[in-house]
Parts: sequence; C-alpha cells; structure tokens
Amino acid sequence: MPSIIPLATFTPSCNARAWLTSPHPHLPIVATACSDKTVRIYSLQNFQQQSTISGGHKRSIRSCAWKPNSLGESVLATGSFDASAGIWRRYEEGAGRGKINNETDFTSGLAGGDTEGKDDEDEDEWRFAVILDGHDSEIKSLAFSPMSPLLATCSRDKSVWIWEELDDDNFETVAVLQDHEGDVKCVAWHPDEQLLASASYDDNVRLWREDVDDWACCALLTGHGGTVWWVEFEGMEQVGKIRGGNATSEEQKRLVEERKNAGPRLMSCSDDHSIRLWRRLPKERADGPAQSKLPSIWKSRDFEEEWVEEARLPAVHERPVYAASWSRKTGRVASTGSDGKIVVYEERWKGADGSDDVSMADASSTGPDDTAQKQQASTAEISLTEWVVVAEVDNAHDVFEVNHVIWAPRADKGKGADDEEVLISTGDDGEVRVWRFEP
Amino acid sequence: MDAEKDNANPTIINPSDLPSRRRSAPTATKQPGLFDALVPAYPSLAEPSSSPEASDSDSDYEPREEIDEQEVYDLISTISDPEHPLSLGSLGVITLDDISVVAPTSARSRISTVTVLLTPTTSACSLTTVIGLGVKVRLLNCLPPRFRVDVRIKEGTSQTADEVNKQLGDKERVAAAMENRNLINVVNTMLVTCE
Repeated sequence: MPSIIPLATFTPSCNARAWLTSPHPHLPIVATACSDKTVRIYSLQNFQQQSTISGGHKRSIRSCAWKPNSLGESVLATGSFDASAGIWRRYEEGAGRGKINNETDFTSGLAGGDTEGKDDEDEDEWRFAVILDGHDSEIKSLAFSPMSPLLATCSRDKSVWIWEELDDDNFETVAVLQDHEGDVKCVAWHPDEQLLASASYDDNVRLWREDVDDWACCALLTGHGGTVWWVEFEGMEQVGKIRGGNATSEEQKRLVEERKNAGPRLMSCSDDHSIRLWRRLPKERADGPAQSKLPSIWKSRDFEEEWVEEARLPAVHERPVYAASWSRKTGRVASTGSDGKIVVYEERWKGADGSDDVSMADASSTGPDDTAQKQQASTAEISLTEWVVVAEVDNAHDVFEVNHVIWAPRADKGKGADDEEVLISTGDDGEVRVWRFEP
Repeated sequence: MDAEKDNANPTIINPSDLPSRRRSAPTATKQPGLFDALVPAYPSLAEPSSSPEASDSDSDYEPREEIDEQEVYDLISTISDPEHPLSLGSLGVITLDDISVVAPTSARSRISTVTVLLTPTTSACSLTTVIGLGVKVRLLNCLPPRFRVDVRIKEGTSQTADEVNKQLGDKERVAAAMENRNLINVVNTMLVTCE
C-alpha cells in the first residue's frame, strides 16, 4: 500500500499560524509565510531554520513566491495582509552547500565590492529591495511568471495586479484586473504561456491573457459551490502522461494527442470540499460552430478560450480544501485543508492492470479489460482515465487545520532516487512538516 | 424593545445555575483575561507561549473533557451586544437550541464541530457580522483546537445571512479582521463581560 510517512518537522517552528511554504526554484531550501509577520527560510537538507525575513510588513505575511531563474541571487516576493508586497534579495552563497563552495568565494568577493566590509554574516542577510504598493486591502497570493518578468498579486480588494520588472527593482503596473466580484484568493501562471489563473471568493476561476495591448479575462470557469481557495496548472512535463503505462488503444492515443494539443490542465480547490480539473478545448474545435453563429468583431476570436470541467478528484475531504499541488515529476496530486488530512491521488487508465492492487478503484474494474475499454469508448473520451486515492493521512498537523501542501525535491541524507520528492505541509499550529510518499 | 430586553434579562441567570460547567470553561483556557489572549494570537505581540501551551494542555484534557452545548452557551451567552449594554443571551441572539456540538465523524478523525446559529435582533441588523465575529473569536480562543467553529445566521432571520455566513466561514477574512485594530477593539469590548 502506498503511504505518506512523516519525515521531519522544520525547527524551530513558528508560534503562530503558518500559511504557505514555497520551495526554492533550485536550492534545497523553502520559505514559509507566517502570521507573525516573518518568513522563515528552512533547509531541506537538515530541516533547520537557515534565516528569517522580518521587519518589512506590518501584518501577517500570507504568501511568498520565489523568482525563477535568478542567477547568483535569491529573490523572494512576500504578500501581506498590510496590502503591500515586498521584494527581498539575498546572495546565494551559503545557501547551496557542498560542491558549490568554490563558486561561493567568487560571488562573495563580488558582493563584497559593492558594499564595504561584507562578511559571512552579511551574506545570510536578506535585503529589502522594494515595496509594491497599490492594493487597497490584504494581499492573498502572488506568483512570478515562469515565462517573462511578470509578477501577479491578488487581494481582498477583488483585483489582480500584474507588475512588470523593467529592470532590477523597478516594477511597473501593467494591468489591474477587476472582473472578480469578491476577494481574489490565489493566482497561478501557466507554465508555458502568458496565461494567468485566479481563484476567488465569488466562487469562480478566471483566466487572463494579453490581448493586443491590454490584459483581459479570456475565460470564466464556473461551477464551484463556494470560495475557490487554490488554482494551479499541471506541469508541462506531465501533459498527456497517465500512470499505468503508455496509451495502447486508439482511444487512448487520441486522448493523449488531444491533451498535448490543449496543454496543461488547471486544478481548483474550494470551500465546497471539491477539487476539480479543467481542460482547454482546442481552438480548431471551438472555432467551427462558434464562428458561423456569431462572428465576433469587437475582440479577436482567438482571444477567448473555452475551458470545461474535465474531472473531479475523489471526494475525500470533509471540510474546505485549501490547497493542492500537482507534482511536476509524477503527475500525482496532493491536497489538504480544514479537516487536517493530506491526500494523494493519481490518474490511471481505467481498467488498467494496475487497478488490481488498489482497493479504492476496484468497483469499476470487475470485468475483463477488453470489455471495460469498449464500454468506455462509447462515452466521452475523458472517462478513459480515472483519478484514484493512493494514500491518505489524517491529523497531519495534530488537530489543526492545514493551510498548504506542496511537492518538493528531496534533499536530505535519506534521499534515494534522483527525482525523489517529499511533501511539505504548513499548518495552523505554525509547523511545517516534511513527508515521504512511498508509492 | 426595552421591555423585551428587560424581560429577557433573567435568562442570563440560567447559565449560572450550572456552576460545574461554568467552572470548567475558564480552566480550559487558563489565560487570566480571555480578551487579552485574543489579540496576540495573530500578531506577534508578547505571547509566544499562548498557542502551543494551550494546545498541550488541551490534548491532555481530551479524554476527560467533554464539551456540550450548554458549555458552549455559557462561553458565548455573556458576550455583550455592541449596541446595547446587554448580553447576547439575554437578547435571544444566542439560544441553547441553536447550538450543536458534533463529535468526530470517523474513528480516525479527532475533529469535532461546534455550530452556532445566531438570531439577529432585527432582520436588517448592520452589526450582525461583528456579533458573529465576536462569537467566533470567543470560541476559537476558548475551545481546544480540535474544535472547528462554524458560526452562521439562523435561516430566515437576516437579509444578509448568506453574505455574513460566507464572511464568518472564511478563515482568511477572520484572521485579517483580527489584525485590524478597530475590529479588535470592538470585539474586545464585547468580550469584556465574559469572565
């Protein structure tokens, strides 16, 4: 039986609620946003606190995000209930251990040239670089684009802001998006396109793109029966991959092809206890009937996208689901929320031979594989696959709510395979816990 | 209105007829002033010990401690209305019948749920959200962390019930509200009358 096994708790933990933990894009460290107005940087190698960021915000830090592809320097953005976002920088020496030591001397020399008397102590210092003011109330989430120098922030003021970093520390507002009718709880970028997703207190998800010169909403995803707490895109590497083997039948091959055309799917988690997956309908198909019916003149037809609900993950959570993480390495999903559970799911071909050893899925796979597959071929192609619960842990943070869970590369001594991952959960008890997933 | 309030006042006395339960509630919280503990629980004022200590002692309690509706009632019925110098119990905003405590739903779960339905004094009471916040904060601070606290407006009693329910159910909004100095002051004032 696959299981989720406790590996470590980062020390020292925060004395108040911790909201979210973000793994560094390439170093074995994570940043935890805490309600005590600090961010704690912990090591994934020894599970100790490495540094803290404090003094920049007047209220809870709700969220933090690492800038991708920042060489020689780590850049962290923080979003706070004080309505501002902060940008923090730190040279990367000391962050990477072991072999990188040679390079450490080199960069540290350079750094020393800039400010006088730079010593080891200063290297660990986080420098407050810039504050982004503009939102009217609490910032809930923020995310750097993996594609371009863009940062998205969102707030209880119902807006999403997109900031462009023109050069270091010079941020310009390029868009203020105000279509949501309630707090915007979460923003997430598409891994391969300039496409932004936002989740809201108005129970909807919106997608945003740049149309000629202006950013605008290109899709509205409705259906959730409560606040949408989290959105996240699937990793590029996982598009069209389904656990339990390659596509064999014609239908399966066609499904994989369609997924590759549509690109990464979107996942949303809600107060309604559900986790839903959405997929983009390919343009060719959407064009056909729509084009003839209503020629749209005021906006380019290509701009709007059609996204449909593709699947719901098995309903395991008994209370609001606050976060879920889609593994870039395995395509598995981990979720958590108010009920304190962490649940891991995976997608499989229906009727695949792997289903024998999974008790959760056995109901649908009683017949011989052939028959099962023929039956599914007559329904929508999407039912070729199914999501099953593969592991679950209760009371992950004692009796407290768990606010966030995310996959990260494993980096401690016990690491086995190169691509082994851990789960990191962040709770109301102020603790950040590390879990092993054993398939 | 006034007469009604006066008549309702005696209901305040009822909770004090249950001394055993009234005594157990303050023991569980330990803090001398409950409203003092309220503020530091979110911002980092000088109270690093409050949450871990509380949780430790609470888990020690767990086998013995059974919290029932009456006890929840005792915790919140003495909260003052923000407009009147009267308790929520005496105004009928909180009634014993509208409190329910649900034990963990499965053997593995340790999470209990407390649901409180509020009856606003008028269907257009603008302070409903604040009253709900006071009740929620009081329970979050007094009950062991294994309790999930759902505070809602009783169906059919308020024009803005859905909106208020959604706000009170949103942990992020409640957390942010408790970092707002003005709201903290209002809530503290409401809770002063709780022992």
